[in-house]
Amino acid sequence: MTAAGGRRMRTAAVAIVAALPPLLAGCMGPLPQPLVGLNQRLEAAGPARAPSLSGDWLALIVSQGGRDRVQLVDLRRQQPVPLPGLERPDAQPLSVAVDGRGERLALVRQLEGRTELVLYRRNLMALQPVPLQPPGVPRRVSLRADGRELAVEVSRQGQWQVDLIALP
Amino acid sequence: MALLALLLSGCGSWSWGRRSAGPVGWGSADRQDPALSGNGRVLASVVRRDGRDTVLLQEQPSGTVLPLRHLGRLQPHRSPSLSWNGRYLALLVQEGPQRRVVIEDRATGRLHRLPLPGSLVPESLSLAADGRRLAIATEGDGRSRVQLYDLTALLEPDLPAGLPVRGAPGGAP
Repeated sequence: MTAAGGRRMRTAAVAIVAALPPLLAGCMGPLPQPLVGLNQRLEAAGPARAPSLSGDWLALIVSQGGRDRVQLVDLRRQQPVPLPGLERPDAQPLSVAVDGRGERLALVRQLEGRTELVLYRRNLMALQPVPLQPPGVPRRVSLRADGRELAVEVSRQGQWQVDLIALP
Repeated sequence: MALLALLLSGCGSWSWGRRSAGPVGWGSADRQDPALSGNGRVLASVVRRDGRDTVLLQEQPSGTVLPLRHLGRLQPHRSPSLSWNGRYLALLVQEGPQRRVVIEDRATGRLHRLPLPGSLVPESLSLAADGRRLAIATEGDGRSRVQLYDLTALLEPDLPAGLPVRGAPGGAP
């Protein structure tokens, strides 16, 4: 191969490599964009897990000071909102779900050796136990966006089942 | 005051309408990881099928199983999440050694793969009912974290019937 041929080959190779990223991006289509500002705030709040996203609200479980607690974030204001009456220092939250208005939260938590399902209404600042019939041990909970029904995973006699519970 | 409001709301007489999500059609299989669509008409859950955790989509309350196109060979499935009408199903799947975030668009049949930075392993997710945002819980670099993603460039909104689409002709500004 002549020197000129080698230069042409190198030029072509560089052009192909340069064209690859846009070509690949075109194949993959548009990509989801991280919400950088919000993510930085979430990162600063501490280790977090079990997110529930609905409307402009994000509920999640955050570890702060060695304790897990439920946090509800108003995504428009990029700020957590207070949840008076929800938290107990001796409770361990396991799963949380929020409705689309940020008004209702369904929560599975361990308290005094029991695992229970509760419903929190923000406008009432009140917590209501949701009894399971027949009795069982709840784990993960999901809430309809309109807050009118929840689905909860329940262990009964060694089997995992899903209960659907309409909320008054 | 809170107690008074609670009493006035009739908490003492709350009645909880409840039902089981019903049989899944594979004997007495465990059913886990429930997720309701925003309007409550579709339930996603994960059942053990042929030894593999597989997402099951069912209309409610009939229990009719809804088809999924792309997920048959990507078990185990985890953490399903549905949009308002159940058009979008986001979940975690296994592709070889990688656990990945995908969204199946049931209207178009398209499967969207959402790449994450290499060191992060997704643990659970939650899709906003309108399909505009996704929250992903990950483990990586010795820490658990939740990150939010904007999906507006990727997905059309999935809104309650009659709600105008922002930016559409004749829609709300």
